[in-house]
Amino acid sequence: MSLARYVVAWGALALASLAHAQALDAVERARVLAHGPWPPPWSGDPSNRASAQRGAIAFGERLFFDTRLSKNGLVSCAACHQPKKTWTDGHERGIGLGVADRNTPTIANVRYAHWFGWDGSNDNLWAQSIRPILEPREMGMTPEAVASVVRGTSMFSCHYRRAFGRAPPADDVAVLVGVGKALAAFQETIVTARTPFDDFRDALARNDASAISRYPASALRGLKLFVGRGQCHACHAGPAFTNGEFSDIGVGFFVAQGKVDAGRHEGIRRLRESPYNLLGRWTDDASGRTATGTRHVTLEHRNFGEFKVPGLRSVAETAPYMHNGSAKTLRDAVRHYSEVDPDRVHADGEPLIKALKLTDAEIDDLVAFLVTLSAPGQNFRREQTVEPDCD
Amino acid sequence: MTPRARFVVGLALVGMHGGAAAQGCGDALGKNVARGESKRYVVAWRADPGPIVVSRHFALDIVVCPKSGATPAQSLAVDATMPAHRHGMNYRSTITAMGAGRFRAEGLMFHMPGAWEFAFDVVAADGTERIRVPYELQ
Repeated sequence: MSLARYVVAWGALALASLAHAQALDAVERARVLAHGPWPPPWSGDPSNRASAQRGAIAFGERLFFDTRLSKNGLVSCAACHQPKKTWTDGHERGIGLGVADRNTPTIANVRYAHWFGWDGSNDNLWAQSIRPILEPREMGMTPEAVASVVRGTSMFSCHYRRAFGRAPPADDVAVLVGVGKALAAFQETIVTARTPFDDFRDALARNDASAISRYPASALRGLKLFVGRGQCHACHAGPAFTNGEFSDIGVGFFVAQGKVDAGRHEGIRRLRESPYNLLGRWTDDASGRTATGTRHVTLEHRNFGEFKVPGLRSVAETAPYMHNGSAKTLRDAVRHYSEVDPDRVHADGEPLIKALKLTDAEIDDLVAFLVTLSAPGQNFRREQTVEPDCD
Repeated sequence: MTPRARFVVGLALVGMHGGAAAQGCGDALGKNVARGESKRYVVAWRADPGPIVVSRHFALDIVVCPKSGATPAQSLAVDATMPAHRHGMNYRSTITAMGAGRFRAEGLMFHMPGAWEFAFDVVAADGTERIRVPYELQ
């Protein structure tokens, strides 16, 4: 290449990079930077003594993929949370022993959550892990049946001893809680990989114009909508693209004729009744700090029809969408926000959820942005456990 | 000095007086102290942990300082809302009186970035006074 051509090519690249970088104003730039870095630091769950413990992770992994924790011996946690489907099942609503009322959310990045389930009826991951085991339409077990399986299976008993330093106790509920804590320890290891968005975000943070310019133009336009006119970042906040709280976005909440899914309203009631919440006897957090949310959460009429704001990392891999799986594709999910009925949301003030009236091109751009929240061919990274066999 | 000029100077002096009172209140809280005031009270507070982050619980260490002629605060309530969206927090704070006008509010969380507004209700022997202070969370 001649010097002149080199200079022209370099100049063109520099101009393109500059244009790319200047596509975001200062406010948008700050909002984009708030979505990283990824992954954020994490140091274990104080309410779970098994959290981040290698023996418990190995036990939890065995339990997760084993069908013996279900009433008919055919359903495992992995039946709905399938690794190859980014820990979802691809169904509109979860299917265990029966059909559930809600879509199966991914468990990737669940360690960063502070409420669990679409209705947040659990305040910790080990209680949330117990829920489907006991739910009649999912795995249909009882504490007695779970304890019997663990005590009666030498491999499980061996893993229990390694995880908790003692044989499974006589108290059936204590064994069930141990199972929940081991399952939680395993799920905490499932973290999505870095993505093209993360490369862009970090390049923006260090003003690396060349790296910034590699982010697709369509995705950048979608990102501008996400942090700008769409105000999507208000709820899909932070590195995990969720504030971990709840919102009514105008998705229907009738499960069947005459049957309503009350969402967060019912979730708070269940939380308060749960023997496994962080105010109960089974938490390992003597300080009580992890129970701050449980102590202070309020139950209000507006919680009716609110559902948890899902994280958006790997979102392109987790169709269908919404709490009831009513949006079949990512494009359908984006179109919902374009056409949402404001009367359905009942906002008293300036509505955060309002019909964005997006053009087809804008929908394409938002989808292009959301696709950059996945790592092609690497939709999760599981930290491998190295544990000898246990029998 | 014209009446209008005297009015402007008077406003400035009132502002300086209020500002001076506000600056002195809560100095013992250390760094990163925020303040607001009403007709009769100055309230100073520091977030713990600070700074406030979206979707992370925080507490406030608070000092309520009565201005000249005002009676001391007997109790305090703390809430916060997003006025534009007309919604508040998903949590209700609890208040512990620490004595000598000091309070600790626990259990607060701002679950969205944007324009929030703190509301401090100062309860004294001669009535309740609300102090509203805007807070922009990035």
